[in-house]
Amino acid sequence: MKNKTLLLTKTLIRNGEGLNLKGSNTFAKISVLVAFAVVIPMIMFGIGSFVVFLMGVLRPIGQEGLIISMGLSLNSAIIFIFGLIYIISTYYFSSDVEYLLPLPLKPGQIVGAKFLVVTLYEYMTTAVFFLLFWVTYGVMTGSGVLYYLYGLIIFLLLPITPLALASVLIMVIMRFTNLSRYKDTVKVIGGLLGVFLGIGVNLIVQRFSTNMSQEEILALLRKGENSLLELSNSIFPTIKWGAKAMVSSGDWSGFLSFLIYIGFSLLVFLAVLLMGEWIYLRSVMGMSETGSRRHKTGSNYLEKEAVRGSVVGTYLKTELKLLIRTPIYFINCVIINFLWPIFLFLPMIMQNPAEKTDMMKGITGFMADPEASGFILIGAFIFAVFMGCMNATTSTSISREGGELFIKKYIPVSYQKQLTAKVLSGFVLGLAAIIIAVFLAVLVFKLPVWTGLLILLTAWLPIMSTCISGLLIDLYNPKLDWDSEQKAVKQNVNVLYNMIAGVVPAGLTLALIPVSSNFVLTAVLLTAAHGLLCALLMKCLLSLGVRQFRKLEN
Amino acid sequence: MIELTNVYKTYANSVKAVDNLNLIIPDGEIFGFLGPNGAGKTTTIKLITGILNADSGSIKVNGLDIEKDSLKVKKQIGFVPDTPNMFLRLKGMEYLNFMADMYDVSTEERRERIDDLARRFGMTDVLQDRIQSYSHGMRQKIVIMGALVHNPPVWILDEPMTGLDPRSSFQLKEMMREHADNNKTVFFSTHVLDVAEKVCDRVAIINKGKLLFCGSMEEMKDHFKKNASLEKMFLELTESEE
Repeated sequence: MKNKTLLLTKTLIRNGEGLNLKGSNTFAKISVLVAFAVVIPMIMFGIGSFVVFLMGVLRPIGQEGLIISMGLSLNSAIIFIFGLIYIISTYYFSSDVEYLLPLPLKPGQIVGAKFLVVTLYEYMTTAVFFLLFWVTYGVMTGSGVLYYLYGLIIFLLLPITPLALASVLIMVIMRFTNLSRYKDTVKVIGGLLGVFLGIGVNLIVQRFSTNMSQEEILALLRKGENSLLELSNSIFPTIKWGAKAMVSSGDWSGFLSFLIYIGFSLLVFLAVLLMGEWIYLRSVMGMSETGSRRHKTGSNYLEKEAVRGSVVGTYLKTELKLLIRTPIYFINCVIINFLWPIFLFLPMIMQNPAEKTDMMKGITGFMADPEASGFILIGAFIFAVFMGCMNATTSTSISREGGELFIKKYIPVSYQKQLTAKVLSGFVLGLAAIIIAVFLAVLVFKLPVWTGLLILLTAWLPIMSTCISGLLIDLYNPKLDWDSEQKAVKQNVNVLYNMIAGVVPAGLTLALIPVSSNFVLTAVLLTAAHGLLCALLMKCLLSLGVRQFRKLEN
Repeated sequence: MIELTNVYKTYANSVKAVDNLNLIIPDGEIFGFLGPNGAGKTTTIKLITGILNADSGSIKVNGLDIEKDSLKVKKQIGFVPDTPNMFLRLKGMEYLNFMADMYDVSTEERRERIDDLARRFGMTDVLQDRIQSYSHGMRQKIVIMGALVHNPPVWILDEPMTGLDPRSSFQLKEMMREHADNNKTVFFSTHVLDVAEKVCDRVAIINKGKLLFCGSMEEMKDHFKKNASLEKMFLELTESEE
């Protein structure tokens, strides 16, 4: 008889929500590969140079082993935090749960399979990070084959302890609270946690590798007790043995540590299976019911709520409500508009005080310089193009309809009006990004208020044009056949295509740099060029786009 | 009144979903559209409601052509699709307001209609809740309410009885009768023969896109041997084509 846990794991992976490019065309595949080819080396370069820098600091004092310990600790911490999100969505919020429960499977087998699926996700999340610590240390210390072999096995077993802890924590919470009632809220919080973790790691690495002196780092390491390193070493005890095995891979004590590491990891895995057997079923029962507090409808409820609105206004409001209330849309289409402006300002605000003062002086001086106004306006337009392209609202607007697209076909509202409302939904959100950025620039960098106002008056044009281009792209290449909202947005190549299309408005803007010393000319040309582009795209949308919308059938 | 003249629809895989369909459904009639799974019932409904475009032929609703006056035609129709799982993240009331705005229903009229429909279906107390929290039957009811909020002259329903409890099912049949008695048209698809027999003034049977029979229940009975059960007739009709 085949092992049911492994069989189930395979099925779950096949049915999984990976980056499925099977149905996409060659261009889509190439674009995704190019994106990865650019993004991954950038991350690798950042972390790689951080490790090399640490080696330079620690090697002279004979403490380079700390790097492995640190690599494993950070990895475990990342696995744990992402694990909380992955586990709650895989164990509890995944739609397969209700199909699995009636099958003749033991709870331990379901937990085991789901645990392995999450482990696989974790490999993908942390592989690059681990690889850099592992290989850089190995190369710089000239370690032998055994070091690499130990490293590989340690990496494969590394997620077990943090994931076991996260599993137990989540299972206990789900058993004793009614968190499932707030499924959507939990998903949003989880998603935001992931985003913030990403920014956090990025900022720490940046700060370490660019702003701290050797003495500062040593002092930080000496302080020890409360550091993340110590904390995660004590929470995940296997790290100690893993690090020892890798650092002393050449002798017997390393081998012994390696065996202890493997033994302990397997024990922990068995403990999770037992715990799952015991608690999972009880915690998952009733998950498929979405809780809702029933409200007593008052006598004047209809008078208050049943009020006529305009067609486009109601359509737009409904689009926005669905964007805000669907967690995956909220994170990818709504919150991103509020986070990006902060992302861009944060590294500048987080600089160390001495450099910050110098830099701030430079920036505020530049902002106040009337000569630079044209250049600032160009910068604002580039930012608006960027924000418009990053925003997935319109480039997934048709895709998000999925199986419900037919509703938009039978309601008696012209396709012109429907597409206009869809463009507006992206535009409203993109505009929020511009308003926040201008507000921050005025507040933090002392951007003159009148320049800020001028940006608000004109820089909506690129937001509008990128929203229209996004919708046009999605009309011609909609991804309507999906079974989870995630696939409609996160795995939608149209978002990438719209970023590529952003080259046009970005090019239009950058072409005006030569005249940027003349503020009035820059402002007039920018507005005219982007206004024209907007008008052209809108005409395309209302003719070609409408025709295409009419043709769409699902 | 619904008129279909020589309507054809072929899907991309060259399957003829609707093959030269001709139908006239006058006002004041409940018309049942019968056929096995995959017969072309839903495709026909999608053609009448403007969700799909016909390859050829003409479809008119109250004298208006769906091709030429699509918005006017759509306004004449209240449509209940076969799946009620839509707009799950909206509250019941938000959904009804959305539909009422799309169909240009005035504030007074919508208040009156929503109040009446909610009372009939026992939905008054759940209008503030998200549709996601509704049972299948409640979702079906809110969709029916959305379809009737503009008091449409033509009411089209795709497999409407699925998931309804006996009381709501009875209520729906009553409402269909009322609608037809007010000289409006009711067109619905079903494969539950019993429902068709009890409710319909006339029925049509379709299989593989072709109309096999159209007439009153009596005519249908005459058409076949008098004492045969409707179910047997239905099987005979559909099997003879295979």
